[in-house]
Order: sequence, then structure tokens, then C-alpha cells
Amino acid sequence: MPRNGKLFRIALALAAAGVVASLAVITAGAASAKSSSGTVSGAGSTFVAPLVTKWMSPVQSQLGIQLNYNAIGSGGGVSAITNKQADFGASDAPLSQFNPTCTSCVQIPWALAGTAVIYNLGASLQHLNMTGSVLAQIYMGKITKWDAPAIEKLNKGRSLPSKSITVVHRSDSSGTSYNFTDYLSHVSGAWKSGPGTGTAVAWPAGEGEKGSSGVSGAVRTTSGAIGYVDVDYAIVNHLQIMKMKNRAGKYVLPRAQGIKAAAALDTHPSKDGSLSIVDPPKSKKYRNAYPICTYTYVDVQKSSGANADNIKKLLNWAVTKGQSYGPPIVFEPLPKSVVTFDKKQIKKIHS
Amino acid sequence: MTSLDVTPDSARRPFSGRRARFGDLILQGAAALAALYALVLVGLIVWKVIDGARLSISTFGLSFVWSTTWDPVKEVFGAGTFLYGTAVTSFGALILATPIALGIALFLTELAPRGIRGPVTALVETLAAIPSVVIGLWGIFVLGPVLRDHVNPALHSVLGFIPLFGPPGTYASNMFTAIIVLTIMILPIIASISRELFLSVPTELKEGALGLGTTRWEMIRGVVFPYSRGGVAAAVILGFGRAIGEAIAVAQVIGAFTGINISLFHPASTLGANIALNAQGASSGLETSSLIYCALILLVFSIIVNLLAQWIVRRTARRQGLAQ
Repeated sequence: MPRNGKLFRIALALAAAGVVASLAVITAGAASAKSSSGTVSGAGSTFVAPLVTKWMSPVQSQLGIQLNYNAIGSGGGVSAITNKQADFGASDAPLSQFNPTCTSCVQIPWALAGTAVIYNLGASLQHLNMTGSVLAQIYMGKITKWDAPAIEKLNKGRSLPSKSITVVHRSDSSGTSYNFTDYLSHVSGAWKSGPGTGTAVAWPAGEGEKGSSGVSGAVRTTSGAIGYVDVDYAIVNHLQIMKMKNRAGKYVLPRAQGIKAAAALDTHPSKDGSLSIVDPPKSKKYRNAYPICTYTYVDVQKSSGANADNIKKLLNWAVTKGQSYGPPIVFEPLPKSVVTFDKKQIKKIHS
Repeated sequence: MTSLDVTPDSARRPFSGRRARFGDLILQGAAALAALYALVLVGLIVWKVIDGARLSISTFGLSFVWSTTWDPVKEVFGAGTFLYGTAVTSFGALILATPIALGIALFLTELAPRGIRGPVTALVETLAAIPSVVIGLWGIFVLGPVLRDHVNPALHSVLGFIPLFGPPGTYASNMFTAIIVLTIMILPIIASISRELFLSVPTELKEGALGLGTTRWEMIRGVVFPYSRGGVAAAVILGFGRAIGEAIAVAQVIGAFTGINISLFHPASTLGANIALNAQGASSGLETSSLIYCALILLVFSIIVNLLAQWIVRRTARRQGLAQ
């Protein structure tokens, strides 16, 4: 019993020390938070997370703002900003896609990227040609062999194997899926009236895998597989990438030049801020455009309260200086017309 | 009060004693609070789940349970395909895991040389300690491709006349991979409970049977199995409950296909996997509510399974009590 008593006292002392220590940490944290001029916290898209993460340290040093970001997915981001649980929400799909959505928010396109179509067919069949309508038929389960006439026609002179096509898509909801299905809906009537456009859809065929890592993992371990991931992921992981045919008739790889060309839009964002640039029109201007590109959005409450100034400072930085952090991870800088539009949108935010 | 209860009444109720002991009072209060906490927690969860599913329940009604459409774009939801996937994968895992687990338990209690019982028991328990996400990862990168390239074609060529073993597709993520992953996860549960049960069979009974000239197998069949039948059934049902509820590992290897395909070598999805995959990214209130409706179905199933296990254990205990 005395030994137990001693143990008990030691435990009690430890617990007390723990309480004191945690109190110290909390007060220290408060002190350090005070030393910078403010904190801006956001949540949402995993697609844009690599870029936002790159912004954190320059935002701290240049603006004195501590930027926190929680990559919980686009849907989570929209619900966080709708319920005012964050300073901003980041979403790959425009606000109109959500129900309920944030009606008191401004929507600002703040990053630009592309989606790569990847496959696994052995090194001799690098950069195959593909069109949107054939891709849609593959994802509908209508074309099931690599040597199908429709695919052979696009790749004359290359010997395609008589292998089954294993279709791989995302099993969780994602901005990459939104971009991909938005494209398929633009190029295929059957896709538009069938599965349609969304961060998650009722996939008619194939196996679903979680995250870009899941999709690329499945494609890598399955000879004859086809999938889609964000461009940076495809390049970093040395996956085989399709050349996609644009409306001007050219087969284009998802490289910086192709994404920039797709963004050279005459049209401005629609009034609510949404802007779809998949499958750009047939015109000389878009001759080099890669057809599966997308803007991703940041959503902010118009009345953002006491933190409004910091949020505006951050966003103005993000759509201008912040863009220079994108290219190494294949986020292309926003075109001027969009930056001008964004600045107008940011002005709508007040306290 | 049973005769086992030796706590005097005075110690039980501090106020009725000569001195109300302050320490006892605190102990009693703290313990009661802890018990209340568990009760309130369960109540809150059930209430929140029903509350969250309300929108979906009022939109789709009871037909949600068997409707096979899950379309986030058109906002039409039903749990039918997930219910099918859950039933097939957990029954499949049960059918594979039960004989192996019983084999392990018998080996460890009756057949193995004493020296290796300890290490093997420890290994089996370790299997239970592997986090499900780790088993899932291994399922993606190792198990899935191996099954697809080597096991599934062989199964199809032998058992192909049964529709369940259809053409072995090119998908590494499919129901069969999920079944194997679940088998690995529930095996240690059934095995370690069964081992405890087999150990509790009285030695006199076993030695008596052997003394009558039975073989070891006859002794096991005639004494060990009948004695522990109820407990083993409960262990199997507990394993089943684990298989029904497992979400992460299954989500990683089942291929998330919303539709019913009779072949085990085709992607599918389960209630738990669907919730795990879509809860974060749900794009409409109705989708979120429908996911919670799925959770409600899962909750009801888990409760039924647990009650069933408890009932079997109690019934067996009573019968054995009468027999002795």
C-alpha cells in the first residue's frame, strides 16, 4: 500500500506538471500569434493544396500573415465557408455545383492547372494520341480493347496490343474528377446525359481508387490500364501520358505551354466568378491548347468581419505574386484578364 | 443478488453506514459519472445519426435500403449496391476465416508442442494489432495484383461454372481482394477467442474421452466442440460484425463500383467504404444525409449482430449451467 501511495503521488505530480506545461504552451502560442500581424485560415481542395503550401512561408515573410490550410476536400471547404468556420474555402468545382451553397460569398478563380490522362502500355508506346470522344467511350465501357479500330485510327503506324483496357477513376470526390468529367461532358453527348459533371459521379465502368496515389498505383501495377491525375503528379511519377487532340486538330501534351494556351481566353469569368476552359473552341489562338484544364476557386464571405483586411491582402498577393510559385508544380500563372477580374472580386470583401 | 455478491450493504451505500466515507463517496460518484458518460455517448450518437439522416429518409423513404442508384450528379441515392457488397464480402470473409481460425485455435490448444504455443499465439495476436490502413496498402500494392494475375484465373478455371467465379478481369481492386483482406482482419479475432474457449474445456472431460479409447479427433469432435459451441458461434458473429463495419481497408481494395455484378472478380463497394470515401467531399446536403442514412443502416446491423452474439452466449451458458 505505501508503494501504491508513492506511485499515486508521482502520478499526481506528473499530471500537475503536464497541466502546467500545456498551459505554458498555450500562453506561449498566444504570444507568438500576437507577434505576427494576423492569421488567415482556409480549408478545402486537395488539388490546390501543394500550391497553398508553397505560399505559406512567403506569405509569412512578405505579408506577416500566418496562412493555415486544411486540405479536407472541396465539399468540406465550401461547407466550412458557408458556415463561417474558416476565412476562406477552396473548391475545384464552382459554387453553383453545391447544394446548399454559399450565397453570400464571392468566388475567385485563383489557380490554373491541367489533368493528365495516364496509361500503362510499355515504353515503346510513349505519348499515344487520344481524342475526347474515344476517351468518353472508354470510360463508358464501350471501347474495351487497346487495338480497337477507333484507337488504332488515331495512332497509325504504332502496333497496339490486343489487351483489355482497365479503366481507373477516383473513388473519392475530387477536383481532378470534376475537371475530367467536365471535359467528357463537353465532348460527348452520351457522357453529358449519362454520368454528367461532378467531383464524384456514377461511373459506368472501371475501378475506383482513392487519391492520385491510388489511381497512379493501380495504373502502374496493371498493364493496359488508363487513368487520370493532376499533371504534376503524372510528371513527377514518370507515368505514360496521352497526347490529347484539341479542337484545332492538334495533339497536345499537358505541358506549361499547352495549359497557358488554353487559358488565353477571350471570354471573361461569368458574373458569379465561374470559368470553364475545357475543350477550347477551334481557333488559331488555341492551336496549342491542352483541352483538359481547369481553374480552381477560392470562396470568401463578402462580410468577413475583423479579418477582412488580412484576407484581402492575402488574396491580392495570391493572384499576383503568388502565381510565380506555381510553374514548378505545373500550376500556370493566371492570365491578365482573370487577375483584373479577381481584383474586382476581392474589392467586394469587407468587414 | 446472487450468492457471489459478498459486498456488505453498508459498504455499498456510504450514507447508511455509521460514518459516511468521503473517499467512497467520490469513488461512487466518479464511477457513476463514467457509466453515465458511456450511456449518454451512445444515445447522442444514435440521435445524431437519425437526425442527420432525416432529410434522406424523408426524400427516399425505406426504398433507399434496396435502391441500387447512387448518383451524386442527379442527386438520386440508394444503398442497395453497398448492402449487397457488404453482405457478400463479410459472408465471404467469414466462410474463409472460420475454418482457418478454428484450426489455429485447435492447434494451439490441443495439438501443438508446448514450446511453440507461446510464440504462435503471440503472432496471431499481433495480426490483430496491424492497423487496417496498413493491410489496405499492402492489399493495393501486393495482394491485389498477385490475386489478379495468379489466383483468380486459377479459381475461374476450376470453379468457373459458379457465376460468382466469373471471368477474372483486369481489376486488382475487386470484391475477392476485399474478402481476402477482411479474412486476414477477422481471423485473429475468431482464433484468439476460440483458443480461450478451448482452453476452458475441463481437462477431466478430455482425459476421460481419451481414456475411453477415442482418437484425438474424436475427442475434439465429441468433447471440445460441443462444450464450446455457443462461445465459438459468438466469436464468429463478432468477427462478422468486424467485417461488416470495416471501412478503410475495404475502401482501399474494393474498387468503389456502384452497381451489382455477380462475379467476385469485379469492383464493388460496401456501406463502410462508401461512407469513408465520400463523407469529406459530399457536394450536397442530400448526399451528406444519404451517407448518414448508410451509417444508420450500418449501425442497426452492428447492433443486431452484437445482440445476437450476446444472446447466443447467454443461452449456451444457461444450457451448460443446467447440464452440470
